[in-house]
Amino acid sequence: MSITSLTFFLLVFITCLIYFVIPQKYRFISLLGSSLFFLFYDNFNLTTVIYVLIILLTSYFSSLLIYKYKDTKKSKLFMLIGVFLILGILIYLKYSNFILLTIQNIFNFFGSNITFNPVTRPSTIGLSYYSLIMIGYVMDVYRGLCLPQKNILKCALFMAYFPILPSGPFIRYNDNAESLYEGHNFSFSNLYLGLIRILWGLFKILVISERLAQIVNTSFNNPDNFSGLLMFLGALLFPLQLYTNFSGSIDLIMGVSKILGINLPENFTSPFFSPTITEFWRNWHITLGSYLKDYIFYPLMKSSFMQKLGQFTKKHFGKTASKKITLYLSMFIMWTLIGIWHGGAYTYIIGSGILQFIYMLFEDLLSPVATKVNNKLGINSESKIYRAYQILRTYLLFSFAMIFFRATSLSNAFTIIQNIFTTSHNMQITSLGLSVANLIILLIALLILFIIDKISIKNDILEKIKNSSIELKIVILGIFILTILTFGMYGIGFNASDFIYSRI
Amino acid sequence: MEKEEIYTRLNKVFREVFDDESINVTENTTAKDIPDWDSLEHINLIVAVEEEFNIKFNMGEVTTMKNVGEMANIIASRIK
Repeated sequence: MSITSLTFFLLVFITCLIYFVIPQKYRFISLLGSSLFFLFYDNFNLTTVIYVLIILLTSYFSSLLIYKYKDTKKSKLFMLIGVFLILGILIYLKYSNFILLTIQNIFNFFGSNITFNPVTRPSTIGLSYYSLIMIGYVMDVYRGLCLPQKNILKCALFMAYFPILPSGPFIRYNDNAESLYEGHNFSFSNLYLGLIRILWGLFKILVISERLAQIVNTSFNNPDNFSGLLMFLGALLFPLQLYTNFSGSIDLIMGVSKILGINLPENFTSPFFSPTITEFWRNWHITLGSYLKDYIFYPLMKSSFMQKLGQFTKKHFGKTASKKITLYLSMFIMWTLIGIWHGGAYTYIIGSGILQFIYMLFEDLLSPVATKVNNKLGINSESKIYRAYQILRTYLLFSFAMIFFRATSLSNAFTIIQNIFTTSHNMQITSLGLSVANLIILLIALLILFIIDKISIKNDILEKIKNSSIELKIVILGIFILTILTFGMYGIGFNASDFIYSRI
Repeated sequence: MEKEEIYTRLNKVFREVFDDESINVTENTTAKDIPDWDSLEHINLIVAVEEEFNIKFNMGEVTTMKNVGEMANIIASRIK
């Protein structure tokens, strides 16, 4: 079920109706009902139900046993069983083909002609999110950060709260579970702010992202027809399509949750104003970064292997080098895993994993050199022009990596890169699929997006709208609805269901 | 060990890790007060503090300690 479909909004409407009418202590059950409906709407069969149940029961019972045997060795054993069972299911359902292909490639490399046929595995929407969310929950109980949830229905709701299934954000038991169980009362303020956030999300998706998709799809799907500037334009616009599509869906589900009184963690904070790739990732898919930091990066850095490696390198290469070696190795492992999480394909591993690591590695290595060069040439690194240059550089580097992310295969990515550097066929910009009128609408909408993103770096815009007069509130709502109805790309036969992050 | 001694030794570790002799930590010092104290340096700091006091923080403590005061309290409780 696409989150811009009528079915989804109908589900949200019915959920709200039931949620606010029934007694407070049963409200979480209505959320669970809607979540199960959403979870199995597209794919209801016994096998899928069994896998979902195994993940739920594993997290439920392992967390109870971890707590029962806390401070004993058994506690760690139950934590490991819980984590590896859920991880095993995730790998089995999502990465079977990728593992088979990798084994096949290794065999082929050594001259063997072994081939595996691709396998089909059942899957549900949101598997990559709810499996990791439950691994986090089991680890939090083990770390003593939260108590296990004894009510299995509440545990199920935490796992499968429906708005976050398609594209996150990652939630944490300590920060978000209570808000799901509380049973909030209806408030006009929440309804209004929720609606504004939903409309802002729809503006990003239907007015901007769907237009960008025309250009990006036309150029990426037919790289042989376009070269030079037009291919470059396609590659340059894909990060914006990804951002408006992904952050737009996050706005939409944050809005739906706001109406229900549920606060979720922010996933984006104006990422395209970041001066470095390191900073960019602090503002892009924030909850994924913070999840991986707490559950992979820190344990890895604190592991006895890294400690021993640290001592060895300190002895042989000195303190500074030793610190860098363990840091870079942990970062490499973490970014490879981020790439794998985005999808079982080499294009994802390179685009959203290894290239990002390489960028950050060079940023760290070259930052003292850059400071020296700037000082020598008298360049003011605090000036607005220098900052603009840094922002542009970050955007270009990210766009280059995203060519791999968007490409259908590695060879497709190389064709696209090659075409960017060949002479243009002198084709019209409109050959990319958008009319001049649509291009103008796109430009204006992008300008609005950038202005709002820039303002929201230092201001809470929703808070300002909340405190404005009733007249202004009505005008804002009206402008939003009219803009989306007039300029949104939707309607019968149109399906905005190709949510990039829903593939994950 | 007296709290004062813990802070003196912590200060030494902070100065070493962040390579900054002007650092003077108090119980209210947070990552916001030290420019280089980001998520990457946090774990280096943790490991250095562990080495200095010969203790181990658990992962729950690593991810939740809010300021140097909380860090010092955990240290004090471990080396009693």
